[in-house]
Amino acid sequence: MTLTIDGHAVTVPKGTLIVEAAKLIGVEIPVFCYHHKLDPVGACRLCLVELSPGPPRAQTACTTPVAEGMTVRVTSPMAVKSRADILEFELTNHPLDCPVCDKGGECPLQDFTYRHGYPVSRVQEPRLHFAKPLPISDRIALDRERCVLCYRCTRYYDEVAWEQELTTNQRGVQSYIATQFDQPLQSVFSGNIIDLCPVGALTSRVWRFQSRPWDMDHTASVCSRCAVGCNVNLWERRGELMRVTARENVEIDDGWICDRGRFEYTHVNSPERLAQPRVQRRPAAWEEALSRIAAAIKGRGPRLGLSIPADITNEEAFLLARLLNGPLRGARVVMPGRTSLPGPPANQLAIKDLDGCRTIVVVAADVRADAPIVNLRVKKAVAKSGARLLTVNPELIDFDRHPGVEHVAYEPGHAAAAVRKLFDHPLLQEGPVGILYGDSAGAEDGAAIATAVAWLAKEIGAKVMPLYRATNERGVLALGILNGDSLDGCEYVFTWGQALAGGVPKGVRFLACWDDFARPYHDRAQVVIPAVTFAEDQGSYTNLEGRVQFLVPPLQPKPPLRQGWEVLQDLGLALGLGSDYLGIFQVQRDAAAAYPALAALAVPPAPAPPPAPVAMGAARP
Amino acid sequence: MSARPPKRRRTPSLGKELVGLAKGLGTTFGEMLKPVITVAYPEDKTPRSERYRGRHYLRRYENGLERCIGCELCAAACPVGCILVVAAENTEQNRVSPGERYAKVYEINMLRCIFCGYCEEACPVQAIVLGPEYELSDTSRDKFIYTKEMLLEPDPIQLRAEDGS
Ligand code: SF4
Ligand code: SF4
Ligand code: SF4
Ligand code: SF4
Ligand code: FES
Repeated sequence: MTLTIDGHAVTVPKGTLIVEAAKLIGVEIPVFCYHHKLDPVGACRLCLVELSPGPPRAQTACTTPVAEGMTVRVTSPMAVKSRADILEFELTNHPLDCPVCDKGGECPLQDFTYRHGYPVSRVQEPRLHFAKPLPISDRIALDRERCVLCYRCTRYYDEVAWEQELTTNQRGVQSYIATQFDQPLQSVFSGNIIDLCPVGALTSRVWRFQSRPWDMDHTASVCSRCAVGCNVNLWERRGELMRVTARENVEIDDGWICDRGRFEYTHVNSPERLAQPRVQRRPAAWEEALSRIAAAIKGRGPRLGLSIPADITNEEAFLLARLLNGPLRGARVVMPGRTSLPGPPANQLAIKDLDGCRTIVVVAADVRADAPIVNLRVKKAVAKSGARLLTVNPELIDFDRHPGVEHVAYEPGHAAAAVRKLFDHPLLQEGPVGILYGDSAGAEDGAAIATAVAWLAKEIGAKVMPLYRATNERGVLALGILNGDSLDGCEYVFTWGQALAGGVPKGVRFLACWDDFARPYHDRAQVVIPAVTFAEDQGSYTNLEGRVQFLVPPLQPKPPLRQGWEVLQDLGLALGLGSDYLGIFQVQRDAAAAYPALAALAVPPAPAPPPAPVAMGAARP
Repeated sequence: MSARPPKRRRTPSLGKELVGLAKGLGTTFGEMLKPVITVAYPEDKTPRSERYRGRHYLRRYENGLERCIGCELCAAACPVGCILVVAAENTEQNRVSPGERYAKVYEINMLRCIFCGYCEEACPVQAIVLGPEYELSDTSRDKFIYTKEMLLEPDPIQLRAEDGS
């Protein structure tokens, strides 16, 4: 459909809202309550424009779909005045404490007032006051005075997260946002309301007052906390990681991240992090530490046990695989925190394809715990594209709160049999079907489930998605280096990252640890070397659908800290491996050539998208 | 290059020289009779305008609380970027300023400062002000990073207590 917006013609599909059409050509229509991932409600009236044909009054651009031949006037005197008046209303009770507000500097209320509002305030009357700041969880603070009652936060909770934790109390100008029964928020998706809130009413308590938006640099990276691989921005100030925010990638995270990804970063700045290699508890040079390790672990065969971190990068795994095919051949390798699922399936379901599924089956997995953002994607498919959901779990999971969801229970330990019985389930008779499966937090045999799911998928023509738990589990599985669940019986142990839950086995003759923090069992270690975190490491992860994404570190490792691949490279030299990589690109090229699953490592990153067009900026009265 | 015209030799003339000398001396003695405009700095100093922009101070309220709320607007306004503010949250146990927020770190690099006064203008609570002091020499570059302790004006309550004793 073709319409004109302030004289600019634009053609968009039927059903597009006027705000979205205006965005395409860069005409700014200010919005508070409208958000492109939430259903429109028309609560704030900030998006008023004049439409013709139509009655001679301002109408909301966020709730009106386009029509053929429509003329939208954003800058007509009536539209401009309406919006300025709405902004004046918004500000009658606003505390105007921008100087101490964490939203200041990236606040739509500031920006829109500046660009669309009246230059001076006429408000002399006393303003409405609330107690503030109110902690609504230990990570989020609520300031009710600043709230513009756009209901983005409560709508997000209802529509996207399907949790009943946030609500509005009272009516009219007295309305305020509150948690249910004043209980703290519990949801693992709570942090997104910080990004959503168009004012400083919902702010992060973890980042509270630490910096201003303008004194940080941000880097487009990926989350390292689980295998979903949500895209994030990492914000740096003065050599410290300040905060993590979502970076919309419609193919993976759809603009959301979970609270693990958003709030679990403060360890990066901890002064307690290990910084110095130590041999027998005294500071040592890297060369000495690595040659001690090399001498102790070389050629030990199965007597050597290695534990690797969940967030090992593909590059590090590749360098490790080289060692395991050479001087460390036969060693036992474990990855704490991973599932028992086997390597990638043949008919992989991509996260974005969940949107198009007619039926989604979730087998033996609490998706919210294992792959949080996939959980939201499933909810979106059910709520917005009418997918039917079947959960196969011993107990009810969070999806089952939705009335339309079917649940199949099974005796714990018999998930694979339950999957085979689904064959003639009525919901599975109509495609496309997507099957998500886990190992029930370790309670089920992942290999058996995978076989059963593969069989079922073949029979009914479904696509499947294994829900790996560890960040780069899939990448490591593709390299085929994992071969055990415990290090018991190993005499020489090298732990990288946190050790297995059971700790380091008793009676080891040699223990070396590579870690970012001191742990109790380090006391027994002959050599301890410091590790970098996701904010300093270069490399890539393979997410649970097999997509390779790059970590872009916002921080430099503080010497003598060194990046993971450099340490492994030098360990290789100390073990007598000849080749010497001068940079991580060489590692990536070799890894891409050696393993088809890592072929994406050799593909140069896509160029940045062109900036959005700007046909018309602010419209001040 | 074009050739220069040959220099003409000037013929000295006593009369002309004397006139020149008299003119010069006239200027000299004339200046001696005019009022003096230089001062014997540093013993004597010229008066400064009321609004002179010299060394900064961070002000306090009457009750001793710091005015600065750590908003970083001064740092944002500063054209040379010589202010560093790191804010923190007031608690009941540690109340530094009224309200929610205070400046944990406040530093000005006086060597970079151009004394434009934009910081003073930007400050929403009149915390940072430029004072009359301009003699800011020191012996090392490091000493020109003025910290919050150096910039804060004395605590009026403490002052009064000391006066009383
Ligand atoms: S708290 Fe924020 S997101 Fe929620 S209604 Fe108020 S302004 Fe909107
Ligand atoms: S879902 Fe996973 S990748 Fe996404 S933000 Fe949470 S922990 Fe990070
Ligand atoms: S006087 Fe000007 S240059 Fe100096 S700190 Fe203030 S704003 Fe910066
Ligand atoms: S001096 Fe003023 S402008 Fe600067 S941080 Fe403090 S309150 Fe803000
Ligand atoms: S954005 Fe249209 S009414 Fe709020």
